[in-house]
Amino acid sequence: MIRAAVAYPDELESPSETLVANYPVNATGYDEMCSAPGVLRPHWQEIAKSLEEIGGKELERRHGEVQRLLQTDGVTYNTYDDLHSSQRHWLVDPIPLLMTGEEWSELAIGLEQRTRLMNALLADLYDQRLAIRQGWLPPELIYPHPGFLAACHQSLPSGQRGLIFHGIDLARGPDGVLRVYGDRTQSPSGAGYALENRIILARALPMLYRDAPLRRLASFLETERATLAGLARHHPENPHVVLLTPGPNSPVYFEHAYLANYLSISLVEGEDLVVRDGRVWLKTLGGLQPVDVILRRVLDTFCDPLELRGDSLLGVPGLLQAVRGGHVVLANTLGSGIIENPGLAAFLPLLCRQLLGEDLKLPSLPTWWCGNPDDHGYVLSNLDHLVVRSILPNGPYWEGCQLDDTLRTQLIEQMQSAPYLFVAQEPQLLSTAPVLEEGNLLPRPVMLRGFVVAEDDGYRVMPGGLARVSSGLDTLQAALQKGGISKDWWVLAKTPQRHVSLLRQAHGPIVVTRDGSDLPSRVADNLFWLGRYSERFDGTARLLREALGRLLEWEQDNTDERCLDDLFEALEIPVPPVAQSPRARFFALRQTLLSLLLEAEHPGSMEVIFNGMLRTGRAVRNHLGDDSWRLLNRLQQWIQQPSPELGARQARELLEEELMLVAAFCGLNNETVPHHQGWLFFDIGRYLERVLRTLELFKLAFITARHPGVPLWEVVLTITDNLTAYRRRYRSALHPTAIIDLLLFDEGNPRSVGYQLKRLQRHIGRLQQPDGSPYRSAEERLILEAVSKLQLADIAALATLSHDNPHSTELDRLLDALHTPLSGLSDALTHSHFSHAEVPQQLITMRP
Amino acid sequence: MRYTITHRTIYQYSSGVALCHNEARLLPRETPWQLCRPSQIRIKPRPALSVERQDFFGNRVLYFAIQDIHQRLEVTVATEVRVLNERSFNKSSLSPPWEQACQMLREDPDPEIIEARLFRLDSPFVMIHRDFRAYAEPSFTPDRPLLEAMADLNQRIYEDFTYDPHFTTVATPLNEVLSERRGVCQDFAHLAIACLRSLGLAARYVSGYLETLPPPGQPRLVGADASHAWLAVYVPGAGWAEFDPTNNCMPQEKHVTLAWGRDYGDVAPLQGVMTGGGSHTLSVSVDVEPNPEPVKSKKTRA
Repeated sequence: MIRAAVAYPDELESPSETLVANYPVNATGYDEMCSAPGVLRPHWQEIAKSLEEIGGKELERRHGEVQRLLQTDGVTYNTYDDLHSSQRHWLVDPIPLLMTGEEWSELAIGLEQRTRLMNALLADLYDQRLAIRQGWLPPELIYPHPGFLAACHQSLPSGQRGLIFHGIDLARGPDGVLRVYGDRTQSPSGAGYALENRIILARALPMLYRDAPLRRLASFLETERATLAGLARHHPENPHVVLLTPGPNSPVYFEHAYLANYLSISLVEGEDLVVRDGRVWLKTLGGLQPVDVILRRVLDTFCDPLELRGDSLLGVPGLLQAVRGGHVVLANTLGSGIIENPGLAAFLPLLCRQLLGEDLKLPSLPTWWCGNPDDHGYVLSNLDHLVVRSILPNGPYWEGCQLDDTLRTQLIEQMQSAPYLFVAQEPQLLSTAPVLEEGNLLPRPVMLRGFVVAEDDGYRVMPGGLARVSSGLDTLQAALQKGGISKDWWVLAKTPQRHVSLLRQAHGPIVVTRDGSDLPSRVADNLFWLGRYSERFDGTARLLREALGRLLEWEQDNTDERCLDDLFEALEIPVPPVAQSPRARFFALRQTLLSLLLEAEHPGSMEVIFNGMLRTGRAVRNHLGDDSWRLLNRLQQWIQQPSPELGARQARELLEEELMLVAAFCGLNNETVPHHQGWLFFDIGRYLERVLRTLELFKLAFITARHPGVPLWEVVLTITDNLTAYRRRYRSALHPTAIIDLLLFDEGNPRSVGYQLKRLQRHIGRLQQPDGSPYRSAEERLILEAVSKLQLADIAALATLSHDNPHSTELDRLLDALHTPLSGLSDALTHSHFSHAEVPQQLITMRP
Repeated sequence: MRYTITHRTIYQYSSGVALCHNEARLLPRETPWQLCRPSQIRIKPRPALSVERQDFFGNRVLYFAIQDIHQRLEVTVATEVRVLNERSFNKSSLSPPWEQACQMLREDPDPEIIEARLFRLDSPFVMIHRDFRAYAEPSFTPDRPLLEAMADLNQRIYEDFTYDPHFTTVATPLNEVLSERRGVCQDFAHLAIACLRSLGLAARYVSGYLETLPPPGQPRLVGADASHAWLAVYVPGAGWAEFDPTNNCMPQEKHVTLAWGRDYGDVAPLQGVMTGGGSHTLSVSVDVEPNPEPVKSKKTRA
């Protein structure tokens, strides 16, 4: 049993400072910081002194800074059930949770033992099943649990550990004893968040962190990296390790991307992988690359549609057979979900003696399994002070004291028909820890998540981990479902510890690579679309800004409003019907334009386009630089900002700001992303979108415009940001032939079609051709066709354009001849480079 | 009896399949009453990889992957088996009263009995329900010996239900089979299992083949046989007793065992996941050909 350090007999007198003095310790229960009102526990005295020096107000200010830093770093946590709010920001309380080194050492021994025990249990359940045959574990607790996968029977090569990474939830009761609340083996998230919390808090509160004698976290992740690499059975000198994620829709996708980056491993989704010749391969632009180790963050039932859930789109058909063959190692092994079964807690003391020959060191929350008739009887007669829960993953739970008669009867009936699916736990009053709220410290219930990782022949425990609290009056259970607030969990050391970052150490001989052909096809696909959406965002914002400008001019001097019609056409929004007064007309026009900024559901709205950027951006999270990512996050804040009372002028200002940010985003990508295959796809996406938009604008201004002429030509030059360039060359006389030369043929002008086609041709020529064919690919032929059409155009015939005869069939023909091959380019690229991602289907559908 | 079982499956796809992974449970398992010669397996196109293993239930599973583009997949397995006429049980076997069997399943620490408890629980195709219990109760009267009660249930299913291959599919829920009183061998086996599990007994699903005899005076038609299914009930302390409700009998030497599990889902003969393929058509043919008994064997019988 582990007891917290008890208060020294010679405790300090109540300190005069306000934060601690005003801290309202609960009369019942255990508080982590104070043993009695105003009486600090000894290991909190140093930090309390620092907190008092900083003061409540300044702490609040720093807290705001922490949240801003987290937001710009894009730290998110979202739950599956909120479909509309795309992401929640990760919330961190600035006050760390302290634990003495002595208490932690003892806790670590208990955690390590628990992981060893669970690993032994896994090995037994998927092979000999002695635990069941000998009667140490009832079969009704194991077989009906969806975490037990019969298909994984004997899938683990002998001698290999199934449990590599283990998350353990803990809380302290009123007696000061830490007890285990649950095990996380499927996707034990939190280690990445713990590290990010530590980094951000140290940046915002250097005075707390600089000299604090606390144990560092980074070396734990270094162990994880080394362990994963060590699991590889092939290529031991340079193993290929990947992190398998369900994708950007996963609540903890941020952490997947963060860990992949920190551990220097590839972030992949199921469709990036394929099993051939009994081995797992990563589909890349250059072909298939062997994969040796998979850090699995996809639920195991979803991992192989052949042998596990047939309806899964997240998995890799044949994966389990590849595991059996010993060619790929999964951490954690498939089938480890059974360890998350809360009913196991009731049997651990016996299992520990039988499987390890040791006594269980770390107690679990008192648990009764209703499949045992005696326990069932006890639970029924003590329902009022127990919590009943289903053993199924994410199953429901009932607080006995909260049940009315109907619910109670229903629950008892359910428990009667399949008692083995239920456990009851005795809830304990959780210990409280100080949380900063409005400049004061308040005691809030706290839970801890510890992490254990395999190392050599044993296991290693993270010195610290994630602490989570609720805010306000939410119960902790409810708060954690919404993500909760996290705290940095400090383990105190005797002296300040050396700082270790993985990014500063080289591990053995390094293999120099240039990312390129090993880029996953899915990543290339997303980068291409990120480029297209970025440019679409830019183009739409420019059109909208221009339209709003024209609208304001029209309102001021009631000049010609006619080119507004054409701008509405370009924005693909309907022109409102004729109104009675000019004022009503103004409001109608304004409202239609602003709908693109205010109505998220509007199909062509800025928000819809931005969501496309964000979605594809998140899918390639670790191919973008940190600063690019911050810009994307800042852009998101602007997108979500407009108030419904937005006027035309403010809207223009908003668009100015957004245009700057998107330009900075694209520019920064050009400056920081290495110009290899990935960047090529981003750039091709941007310039393909730009050239298509330019051609459409031309078509509108010179062919289909309802009100052709100078005002519209001026708009074209403004939108392409070429008005100054034009004026420098031609002064103020607008002539269509000059405009066409500047925007169509001038290959030195980045806004001209000529320049854009050249750039596309150069980049497409550099793309890796998967089949190594000596012939031109479809996309090369299409771009060649467009370039030739432009170069062969008869400029003299085009030059017949004049003020009197602005329509030109020659120009119309040329624009169409350019548009046709270019609009086929997107499909051709998809077919050649991204189409590996075909969804597998079942031979027979078996649905009971 | 000696048989040569030939089970052929052909898939025809509307467009090319680039890659497929498959699992076949088409290799008959060895049992104390069934001996198997090595099977002849023919898969077209040739698999890039094929591996045999035993699954959780001890069935033989063949994994194979085809990595060449194909529009037709043909899997033929031919196995020579010898089925002895000495299964663990016959109708005259003594068995405990069924309530006592339930109690032993709950309480007896014998490892074999503990293992059988898996087959008392719900499985994907067979969910415990009071309607099944109600149907079974007239057979399971108080203190009736388990095997006697089961034989009665077997007979009632045979008499109450119409064999109708057009009524059900793999996806037809069992309560519909019960209310409509029709189905095929797979449904009757599932139904009997549901009845037994709803009473608290352990039962498993057995897939296999049955020799069909041509009408008198007509020749045997090759390939006209079909896969068959029946069930086994666990008698604590004695083992598994098989029943065939489709034919109102206890399987003997004419029933060739292929595999067993909790229900059909554990023993589907051929499963696969493929890339491409579009829509497909399927044809299956099964041939159970009796082989002449070797001279030595005939002597023993005589």
